Amino acid sequence: MSAMQTEELIRRLAGHAAPVRRLVHPGWRTMAWFTLSIAYTAAVVFVNGLRPDITARLAEPRFVIEISSAVLTALMAAAAAFCAGSPGRPVWERFAPLPFLALWLASLGDGCWRDWLRLGAAGLTVQQHFHCFPVILATGVPPAVLIFVMIRRGSPIAPFATTGLAALAAAALGAVALRLFHIQDASIMVLVWQFGSVLALTGLGALFGRRLLPWPTADLG
Amino acid sequence: MTTPRSDEAKLAREQRWQALMRAAQDGDGAAYARLLSEILPMLRRAVAYKWPRAPDVEDVVQEILLSVHTVRHTYDPARPFMPWLMTIAARRTIDAVRRGTRRNANETTVDVMPETFPGDRPKIEQETSDDQDAIRRAMAQLPDGQRRAVELTKLRGLSLQEASAVTGKSVASLKVSVHRAVKAMRELLERKS
Repeated sequence: MSAMQTEELIRRLAGHAAPVRRLVHPGWRTMAWFTLSIAYTAAVVFVNGLRPDITARLAEPRFVIEISSAVLTALMAAAAAFCAGSPGRPVWERFAPLPFLALWLASLGDGCWRDWLRLGAAGLTVQQHFHCFPVILATGVPPAVLIFVMIRRGSPIAPFATTGLAALAAAALGAVALRLFHIQDASIMVLVWQFGSVLALTGLGALFGRRLLPWPTADLG
Repeated sequence: MTTPRSDEAKLAREQRWQALMRAAQDGDGAAYARLLSEILPMLRRAVAYKWPRAPDVEDVVQEILLSVHTVRHTYDPARPFMPWLMTIAARRTIDAVRRGTRRNANETTVDVMPETFPGDRPKIEQETSDDQDAIRRAMAQLPDGQRRAVELTKLRGLSLQEASAVTGKSVASLKVSVHRAVKAMRELLERKS
């Protein structure tokens, strides 16, 4: 193709340079998503009813660390997803949720260790509990839809990371909601079925990255 | 090695491009045309550096320009312009390399497919289209306009609107060209087999 056609293309693009609404800073977009999504999650917990032993559980540091790290994972994953859609930002921002994800995992690991000391092998028995996955999925759907609509305004420079992080943000909030209204305290069960569901949904989100975030086509009609 | 003078020149250029991009986002077509023209040589160098064996650097550069146009709202005037531009350029070059690799992987250079005996008509259309050389020859026989339309929409995967931007032809006329080209190629391939 000739250079002359490139110059013709530039002329045509410049002829279609309508003013654009600039993408809002990732920090503000994160706050907007988080405020709406946390309000929705609180409503889901309210409708389902807080677990009866919530006061006692909130007195346990391990439970508080687990819930806080899950909420912070959701917040940082959303921020990372918005940053990943803004070209030119540092790549390390995409790893921002990892420390909180690790803390969340560590708090569950600590719970498993205590159950092992208290009950022996019986404390680490994994029973079938498939309904965590659909509950986290259903609770996470509205925040997921919202974040996917928002990230589509960005640029698909890292589609797999962007959709994976967005799915992690929504699924982590779903897991928080489940933890607050559903009584399930065997750490191994929470680790396998709830944390496992969050990771599975994150992987699923990343898998469809390219399909969910195609490059927009130029409308020069 | 950079000298203080070349650093100053780079800084001045960066500031100029930031100002031009801000103006372009606000709808200033002249600033936008100037910016795209100024970044053009750098894009050509970046593509050639990242993909030294690119069949056509200019094709990839045009895709980058189209992408810059569609996501120009994502530039944050508070941040430097060059990293923004180069991230998009690198991403689109990698996409083009992958598309090229995938195309080569799916094409087979054989004269006769093993499933079809010489002299027989191919059993299915897919077998006909596997003959890469025959397709290349058929494409070479098309008139310039039709060949260009097929290259842009079928090989490079541009939308009709984007192909229209590249060629300056209307969408309707491109549709007609692609339709006629495919018909002509099918006839040429059938006649050959």
